[in-house]
This record gives sequence, C-alpha cells and structure tokens, in this order.
Amino acid sequence: MALLEVRELSKHFGGLAAIDKLHLDVYELEVLGLIGPNGAGKTTLFNVICGFYPPSSGRIIFRGEDITALRPDQVAQRGIGRTFQASTLFMQLTAFDNVFAGLYRHYRQPVWKAFLRTPAASMEDFSSKQRVMEILEFMELASLRDELAGNLAYGHQRALGLCIALATEPELLLLDEPVIGMNETETLNMISKIKQIREKGTTIVVVEHDMRAVMNLCDRVVVLNHGKKIAEGLPAEIRENEEVIEAYLGRRDDETFARG
Amino acid sequence: MKSLTDQRVPISKLVWLSVALIILIILPWIIESPYIMHLLIMFLILAVLGMTFSMLFNTGLITLGAAAFYGIGAYASALSATKLGLSFWLALPLATLITAILALALGAIIVRHAGVAFVIITMLFAHVIVQVTGQVELFGGWGGILGIPRPGSIGPIEFAGKIPCYYLMLFLSLLIALIFYALYTCRVGRVWRTIKLSPPLAETLGINLYRYRLLAFVIGSSAAGAVGSFYAHYFGVLTPGTFGGWTSIYIQLYAVLGGLEFYILGPAIGAAIMTFLPEFLRIAKEVEPIITGALLLIIILFFPGGILGTLQTFPRLRLASMSAQVRKIRAWLSSGDKLRR
Repeated sequence: MALLEVRELSKHFGGLAAIDKLHLDVYELEVLGLIGPNGAGKTTLFNVICGFYPPSSGRIIFRGEDITALRPDQVAQRGIGRTFQASTLFMQLTAFDNVFAGLYRHYRQPVWKAFLRTPAASMEDFSSKQRVMEILEFMELASLRDELAGNLAYGHQRALGLCIALATEPELLLLDEPVIGMNETETLNMISKIKQIREKGTTIVVVEHDMRAVMNLCDRVVVLNHGKKIAEGLPAEIRENEEVIEAYLGRRDDETFARG
Repeated sequence: MKSLTDQRVPISKLVWLSVALIILIILPWIIESPYIMHLLIMFLILAVLGMTFSMLFNTGLITLGAAAFYGIGAYASALSATKLGLSFWLALPLATLITAILALALGAIIVRHAGVAFVIITMLFAHVIVQVTGQVELFGGWGGILGIPRPGSIGPIEFAGKIPCYYLMLFLSLLIALIFYALYTCRVGRVWRTIKLSPPLAETLGINLYRYRLLAFVIGSSAAGAVGSFYAHYFGVLTPGTFGGWTSIYIQLYAVLGGLEFYILGPAIGAAIMTFLPEFLRIAKEVEPIITGALLLIIILFFPGGILGTLQTFPRLRLASMSAQVRKIRAWLSSGDKLRR
C-alpha cells in the first residue's frame, strides 16, 4: 500500500485546471521527483496536499486515512512536513528559535503546565533545546544558531527551512525546489543531506528544476504538464522519454536535458 | 521579547523596572493633588487596555473593539453591584467571567476572519455595545448608571479614597502584567509570535491558528473586562459614551506609541505619555486632538518602532558612530604627530 495516494485530484482556479484528474502514489521510503515545466501544477499539488487549497474534486489518502478536507495544521499533525519555494522563515527570529518553533508537534506536556513552569514542562523545554542543536548540527548550521534568519545567506536560509521541517519529524516530507539558486557544491551537499534524511526513515517528494539533482537524488520521477501526469518511471527512462522532452522544449534538441 | 528561548532578563532592565516600581509605589506620598492621583489611576487602567490590544496585535489580529470588552466588564460589574447587591470583590471576578464568556462567543465566530474583516467587525461590535447600553433601560440608558458602590473594605483597609484605589489598581495591573508576561514567555507566547511572523509556516508546523488566536482574544478581553470592573467601582458612574470608538482608537495608540514589539512596557509607556503629556503642556481640550494626532502621525511615519523601539536602536547607533569618529580623529592626530617628528 502506498503511503500517500492521490486519487482523481483536480484543482481549478476559475477556468484554469492547475491539477487535472491526477492519480499519484508515493511509496514508503522512496524519494519521488516531481518535475515539469513552469505552471505544470507542482507547487499547487503541494498546497492541496497540505490543506492550503481545498481541491475541486478527488481525494488524498495518507496512511489509509482520507486527509482531503483537513486544515494545514491537521495535515501537519498527521506527519506531513513541507518546505516552501520562497524563503519562508520566521525572519525576525534566530536560527535556533526557528527550529525550536518546528518542535511544536512534539509537545507532550499540556499548556497549563508550561504556563506554570512545572518541572516536567521545564524538562521538556530542555530536551527540546538539545533536539534543536542536533538538527542544526546535522544541517551544519550550529555555528549560526544565534543569527537572525533574515540575516542568513541564501543557501543557509534554504538549509534552515529544511531544519524547521525536520524538527516536525514528518513521515512524509515535501520539498519545494530545495536546491534552487544554489551553486554546485551547495547542491551536492544538499542532495547528500536529503539522502541521509531518507536513510533515517522519511519518505520524500521533491519538486525540482535542476535535472542533475533530480537524476542524482530520485528513485522515481513523475512528470506533470498542465496539471496532468504525462510520464512516470525511473530517472533514466524519463530522460529518454519523447513526450517529456517535448513538454520541456517542444522538440528533441536538448543539451540541458541530456546533461543529467 | 525578541527571542523565544533565551529569556534571561538583563540586569540593567531589572534595575530600571524596580526603580519604576518603587516610584509607582511612593508616588502617592509625593503627590498631593487628587486630580493627578486620578490621572495616575487612569494611566494604569489605560496601560492594561493597551496591553490587551498588544496581545491581539501580536497574534495578527487588529482590534478596534478593545473598549467594548472594557465596557462589558464595567457594566457587568456595575449591574451586579447595583441590582444584585454584590460587593466589588465578588463583582470583579463575576464581571471578568462574563466578559470572558462573551469574548469566547464572539471570538469563536469572528477570529476565523483575520484581517480587515476582523477590524470592521470588532469596530461594529463596539458600536453595538454603546447602542445597547444606551438604548436599553436595564443598562441605565444614555443617562448611565449612577451610585455604583466603591470597592469597600478588606479587613482594616478601606478602599474609598483615591490613594487606596490607586494601590488596588496598581496591584491589579501588576497582576495582569505578570500573567501576560508568564504567557508570553511560555509555549503560548512562542506560538503567538510564530503566528504573527508567518501564519502559513506556523500552520505547517501543526499549529492551529484559530485556537491560539481565540485564546489571545479571550484572555485579552477578560483582562479588559477586569479593569472595566475596577473602573466602574472607582468612578461610581458609567455612561455609554465612555466605551465608544474613540476609546478603542486611543487604546490602540498607547500600544503603537510605546512600541508594538514591547508587549507590556510599550502600552505602559504609551499610556503614560498620552495621559500626562497633554496635562503638563496645559493644552486646551479642544486643541489637544490636533496636536496629539499630528504627534502620532509623526511617530508612526518616522519611528514605526514606537518610543521603546526607537530608543533601543537609536542611542547605540549614535554611540557607535561617535566612537568611530573619535577613533578617526585620534588616528589623524597621531599621524600628524608622526609627521611633525
């Protein structure tokens, strides 16, 4: 059984079908690449899965439970984490506090105990802080813990976005263009981190334009165009797929694509 | 409250706060004018009201109805004292509870609509409260409620004059400020701050925006209701106009003037300035709105951080640039020395 099942999902904005009767499965512990030209509906799909947009029709099933009508916070509570395309961070907070906020889902002590600062609540706070440092160290941001997120370099902001998502300890992680705007070294580093996250037991769906990153990272690739799935398969198969190349370039004459 | 997790309070801040507290405690010995004492009490009331605005603002809700819950608390307390014969000490918790229930009922409907809709609805609600208290005979009508009993006594202390009332209000406002502080520095405050900074990101972390905003709405409104209850018993007279739209706008100004990033001290400073400055400048009541309005425009346009926000950045910058200047001049002088030799 697939971890996430998307069934006949459609999302219309006025007359435009951003997602059109999409059928998609995400299997446990895979890295699924979601590619397609601009406006293919990739980010919209993330937003619909996470509950930001209600779908026009269709169903989304996560671990056998229908999550189609849930609010974003309910989806998050069930174990779906995401990063955003733009640097969506708590810009006026430190890197440390950004990650700390991500631990919200794991509080076990009730709010009134936190308010009264009972020993159990203080212990929880203490262990949360340790957890934050572990995550920051994993993403190599530990030395920047006291910097405001808004003052971080672009690459570090992207990494911090991933840290926040990791703090929620999702079972399914949706990454929206994790290596966009990064140089080659940063890209390779990010890819190795994402692979390690998968090794630790997180299923990952990644939207990405960088073809080399996709070919390097993904176990399976799904190609969207105009909200429809036009191809699905192993990275090597997708690279050779005529329809995919046409969707991107209109005809087969392709340097960028073959590079992967 | 810039940081969520680092909650150490610098010593200098503690010293300033204790100095301010001591001044507030010894003021009644220094001040002889009952009018100034009245202003001091009003300052404390308005400071708390400003804090309730600030609490909502920092979850991303802008209310123009803060005065409505202040009024609900005042009327609930006055009515339970005059009609039911309750003493102030019972009327205060009862009024706070009634305000909380009404805030929960209204908030459950309107907090979903953060943004402009919320602003308009709270403003209309404040208007409805004024009309209801004015039109309905039970609530005293436009003539208001007269003869609300003073707080009365606890043991040997008789809360009748201005000075005991001042201490009572000082205690009440410090208690509310302390509760607010405890909220801001625990998990609830952290969540509020994330909601203010980025609602979509907060949601993807599993935070229920609605529930946390409703919590702020109910707590803030209840605090306004509590000081409303005190006001009714202190002033002895309630008229509907006291809780109208202007009061809500003034409440908002205390928070903005002091600095919206300073949830507790900001409104206190703002309320102090707005209460005492016009008095000390001896501005005629008719001209006062023109001057205060212009002053506030200048502050909001050029010092959006409010007074505290500006103080926090400004002197440090100036000192830094001054010491840089001094260093430059020294370097220039010493190079001159070398040349001369």
